Amino acid sequence: MRVLLAVWAAKLTGALLRALGRQGTHVPGIVARRIHPGIIGAVQHPPRVVAVTGTNGKTTVSNLLAEALLGEGMRVASNRTGSNLAAGIAAALIAAVDWRGRSRADIGVFELDERSGRLVLPGLHPDVLVCTNLTRDSIKRNAHPEYIAWILSSELAPDTTLVLNADDLIASSLGGEQNPRVHFAVERLATDPTTPVGAALDAMTCPDCDALLEWDHWRFNHIGRAHCPSCDFRSPEAAYRAREIDADGEYVVLDLDGDARQARLVNDNIVNVYNQIAVAAVLDVLGVDRDRIVRAFDTLAPPTTRFASERIGDAQLVRLLTKGLVGVACSRAFEYLRSFPGRKAVVMSIDEWSERENEVENTAWIYDADYEYLVDDSIEQIAVGGNRRYDQALRLAIAGVHPSRITTFESETAPADHIDVADADVVFNLHSVHNALTTGDRVQERLRERLAARTGERG
Amino acid sequence: MSGLTIEMLFPEVANLHGDNANIAYLAQCRPDAEVVRTGLNDRPAFLDRQVDLLYLGPLTERGQLKAIDRLQPYRRELEARFDSGGLTLFTHNALEVLGTRIRNPEMGYEAEGLGIFELETTLAMMGRYSGKVMGPVAELPDEQPIVGYKSQFSMVEAAPGVEGFLTAARGIGRNTSTAVEGVRRGGFIGTSLIGPLLVVNPHFTRALLATLDPDTEPALAHDEYAVKAYVERLREFRDDRRWHPGERVQKPIASR
Repeated sequence: MRVLLAVWAAKLTGALLRALGRQGTHVPGIVARRIHPGIIGAVQHPPRVVAVTGTNGKTTVSNLLAEALLGEGMRVASNRTGSNLAAGIAAALIAAVDWRGRSRADIGVFELDERSGRLVLPGLHPDVLVCTNLTRDSIKRNAHPEYIAWILSSELAPDTTLVLNADDLIASSLGGEQNPRVHFAVERLATDPTTPVGAALDAMTCPDCDALLEWDHWRFNHIGRAHCPSCDFRSPEAAYRAREIDADGEYVVLDLDGDARQARLVNDNIVNVYNQIAVAAVLDVLGVDRDRIVRAFDTLAPPTTRFASERIGDAQLVRLLTKGLVGVACSRAFEYLRSFPGRKAVVMSIDEWSERENEVENTAWIYDADYEYLVDDSIEQIAVGGNRRYDQALRLAIAGVHPSRITTFESETAPADHIDVADADVVFNLHSVHNALTTGDRVQERLRERLAARTGERG
Repeated sequence: MSGLTIEMLFPEVANLHGDNANIAYLAQCRPDAEVVRTGLNDRPAFLDRQVDLLYLGPLTERGQLKAIDRLQPYRRELEARFDSGGLTLFTHNALEVLGTRIRNPEMGYEAEGLGIFELETTLAMMGRYSGKVMGPVAELPDEQPIVGYKSQFSMVEAAPGVEGFLTAARGIGRNTSTAVEGVRRGGFIGTSLIGPLLVVNPHFTRALLATLDPDTEPALAHDEYAVKAYVERLREFRDDRRWHPGERVQKPIASR
């Protein structure tokens, strides 16, 4: 009866929120968990449940999976429009049952915040859990990837089938010996080096003998394929592999447990290639016909990217989310920035103001990020704004950016007024999560105005 | 003195929270410095040659246990180094390796440390503490306190008489009921502060450089930015509104 009370209360709350035109998709879940703290386990689940977790890519993978399964004609319960914390998953499970508490879905696909495994996994008890990767995240919240792996492994049921990234030695070690598991990977690319570089390097030693691992190929952080020179340890073999990535032709070869097929490339960013092969692996584990797995990628929309680019005259204006507090995410953004051809000018306001206003500040993440990617002759100016501008400037200088290329401004938007756009081929607006809609938008508008004026002056 | 030698212990596992920038920055301050990176399976260099600064940085929980295992054979040599004034810096949870015991009930182990200091560490894996710290140190005038951050699972209890690195004027010390932070003994400094310490505290770094090499005028790399960042942070840390109730030292339950 308590389960039904929780379900009814959550459904009424959801209806009320919708009637009021309010957001807050997790609120029904909060209400349900207040009434029945174990509601995630107590409410009736769809016949099959897939949980998608990991540091990066879990939103993309869960969205693509849900889309593909909908395309299979299944009724899919998911939290893709809501929160990936316990309340969001409770709300999604309840939304998928009727007023009598009976499941109306054929399958559930739930994105799971990796830190929330403790609250969610015992009740959710997924049939399949896919982990995209486990890399460093917020120092304050997530500590280090081994910690997150410990949380997830501690709460996994032994009969959950694991779909894991073979190119991530931490994620690929999830679970216990009893867990059925398959691995996915992206085969070596011509551009992959064999020597790791950067500040955030985990899983560098052999878990069996502590020797420094040797890398067959390395991509970023601890993502790549490694072996121990002193013992038999090596990265697990992947049954599901992406290879022959052709960005121009927009195709990729997906090797599905020895059955190689050409598929449309959903997105050429390496992280999204991992996401695509992860989706293919899960669909195969779920028993979807392989022809249909490949065809599903024909219609799946590219994932939402965290950058936007517009051409203004002969210049390109690029807006790039550079997630302050998470050094690894910043490194990827800086690496991406450097890959653009041409002379570059960068507005960088990536402080998280919420750190100072709402939480306890910790700026150590700046040194977990590889600002060294910004040391490049083509990056001619970096204008830094915000309270921690001198910390940012110091980090840039330590990385090797020449001081003549660095300017600092107290205001987060002032760099947009002062950066020299006259000769830049690409102008970047780097902002963080919480200032995206405030100063990030204003910087974007100002840069757009100035580039438009430049275009006008040149006739 | 000719070029400095800095030894980083186990950097392949002791590299969390950006703290190895302590050494990267020091090496930029002294471009003539040789940085020796000693792996888990290597013999520490300080045993056989002059090492001016020995450093161990933040570790995972598993890494802590490995560091204890690897340093255990050299406990006496480490202690002798500290007592003879050999400069040594352990940051974040590296200090805990040198204590008597580390308890981690959630991960299911209790490990003996090297026992050089009478420190007992308890980890709460679901109770990570984050906070700021500001406090004066002996090397600097009071108006140039150390500033830094904590983000840790562990709280440390020390026996009476274990000297601290600093006494926090704001923020907590070794645990939530003391303002005494870290440990000092002879040439040893251990602190749980991250930031990294030597990057966000340029005056302290200058003092450390002067101690490392009294014959050379200490020079900070990128000193203009380093000092401005420190001044700005100190200004904010002196503002009461920046401090949350959870960052205050709590009275021990017994004395409330």
